[in-house]
Amino acid sequence: MTVTRIFSILALALLTSLAGCTKEKTPSDTKNTTGATAVPVVGFIQAIEDATIDEARKGFYDALKEGGFDESANTVKIIYRNAQGDSPTLDQIADYMVAQKVDLIAANTTLAMITAAHKTSTIPIFMMVAPSPGIAKLTTTDSAGNEIAPPNLYGVYETLAYIDTSVAMIRTLFPNAKRVGTLYNSSEPNSVNSMERLRAMCKSLGLELVEESVTSSNETQQAAQALAGKGIDLFFALPDNIIFSSFETVYKTMADKKLPIITSEAGLVKRGAFAAYGADFYQWGHQAGANAAQYLKSRDPKSTRLEIVAVRKKTFNPETAKALGLNPPAGFEPLTSAK
Amino acid sequence: MELLFGAIALGLAYAFLGMGIFITMRIFNFPDITADGSLTLGGSLTAALLTAGVSPWLAVPASMIAGFLAGSATGAIYTKLKVNGLLSGILVMTALYSVNLRIMGRSNTPLISVRTVLSPFADIADPTLRLLAPILLFLLLVAAFILFLRWLFRTDFGLAMRATGDNEVMIAAQGVATDRMKIIGIGCSNALIALSGSLVAQYQGFADIGMGIGIIVFGLASVIIGDTLAGLFGERFRIGIRLICVATGSILFRGLVAATLSIGLNPTDLKIVTAIFVLLTIMLPQARAAIRGRVR
Repeated sequence: MTVTRIFSILALALLTSLAGCTKEKTPSDTKNTTGATAVPVVGFIQAIEDATIDEARKGFYDALKEGGFDESANTVKIIYRNAQGDSPTLDQIADYMVAQKVDLIAANTTLAMITAAHKTSTIPIFMMVAPSPGIAKLTTTDSAGNEIAPPNLYGVYETLAYIDTSVAMIRTLFPNAKRVGTLYNSSEPNSVNSMERLRAMCKSLGLELVEESVTSSNETQQAAQALAGKGIDLFFALPDNIIFSSFETVYKTMADKKLPIITSEAGLVKRGAFAAYGADFYQWGHQAGANAAQYLKSRDPKSTRLEIVAVRKKTFNPETAKALGLNPPAGFEPLTSAK
Repeated sequence: MELLFGAIALGLAYAFLGMGIFITMRIFNFPDITADGSLTLGGSLTAALLTAGVSPWLAVPASMIAGFLAGSATGAIYTKLKVNGLLSGILVMTALYSVNLRIMGRSNTPLISVRTVLSPFADIADPTLRLLAPILLFLLLVAAFILFLRWLFRTDFGLAMRATGDNEVMIAAQGVATDRMKIIGIGCSNALIALSGSLVAQYQGFADIGMGIGIIVFGLASVIIGDTLAGLFGERFRIGIRLICVATGSILFRGLVAATLSIGLNPTDLKIVTAIFVLLTIMLPQARAAIRGRVR
């Protein structure tokens, strides 16, 4: 008696989850029945929740819209899922996208790209806010020694060149600067890679680099204060997740000592950094979105390829410049605070 | 299909985490939070070994040994240095963060182009069979470990372990070295958790320094859902059945996440909905008792 009841409860629970699993099959079903006229489905996978990283998603959506794929006009269906930094959930999201038979997967940030590339070798993946497959160690080497990226990987990547341009900018903006302070996240691949490049670049430019390493955003304040006390002339913000999540702490500490912040990410300029020269996340997502729209139109994988970030912008924050008593740099686009 | 099979495979891979936490929490009555670090330890060591070209069938046991050592370190700090149990776990977990970074040499290692325990199944032509293969492999491993643990906990040694958790003073009076029992027990628990990390890394295609963060919550949820299931069956003592329930709890939890994902909620609400689902599952026996009471 009890046993049968238990089984009925269990069966009910399983059925509910099964029903849930099949619920959103409708778009792909309609596609199967109505053929090519159906609305294309885009699966957008984002690994973490973050304001700056959301910019790339906005850019991607806007580019799709400009390419004629507008969700509000029913010309595209976007399934957006965010793993909130949880890797098993990220894995299940990728499973879900494959199960929904989406026409393409958009992957925002490195882990989303790696997970998607592991789950499917047929559905095209459009990556953004991630390093080149070579830097992420996603490539295989063929017999001739060439690095080969996964064949279904498209979208837009960045190399470490952004470090070169943004560090070179220090020399032009602050010719007298000698000591550059920086924080880096020893647990993030992009941060460690950029750090090595940053060290080499500073050395070649004759700048002295003062480093503090952190492993979580709780440690940022102490580390920033330690740096500010070491007589640095300016702070270089490496664009990693810890800086993104605790930039305001760094900004406050540096502002108290009237130290300018230089970075490569325009999003951080909006949040108070003095100047940046590098990829803008909105533009990055936009470029990936434009490529995705191109693919959706032609349905030909040959119409698109993996590209490097096209737009590297020079931006500065006029409010920060005023507070620091610095002149607006020539050739830099002003960006006002998002606050 | 992919979503459901994926949830089952992932649930089975994480079942070892649940089983490990079951040992410390239910058998030793010890709040061990080394899990966050030892799961990542299993994943990162596997990643480092596989990238170096070591056979996956060697990398998996190697990860388990590393997990055992990490767990025994927690046990030793707790019993020999008389540090508070929670703090011992926190200390080892914190230290493992650096150890894991050293092992991998970077914070993330993709395992897409290396040979893993799942590689032999990658070429299966039939898509359903290909999805089924990891489930069968993991199921086999889970079954083997449940049988092994069931046997272990019935030997004199295993009974002494269980008694250490139930009534330490009594079993110490019988001449059992309880400190040694705890060190070995917490070690075994973390060996299972590292095994979980190793399989998960191979299944999801990467090892990441952050893969263990907060994972203990999920392990605890599997144990508690498992207890609820065992309670429904009226089982409170037989280890084998309780372990099966923990593994089922782990799969159910992943099923709930899959259901939450496919319902299409705002991603912001994902975690609270998962929490409510778990709460409802745990409340099942009480709800049943309440309904019964009213009928009478």
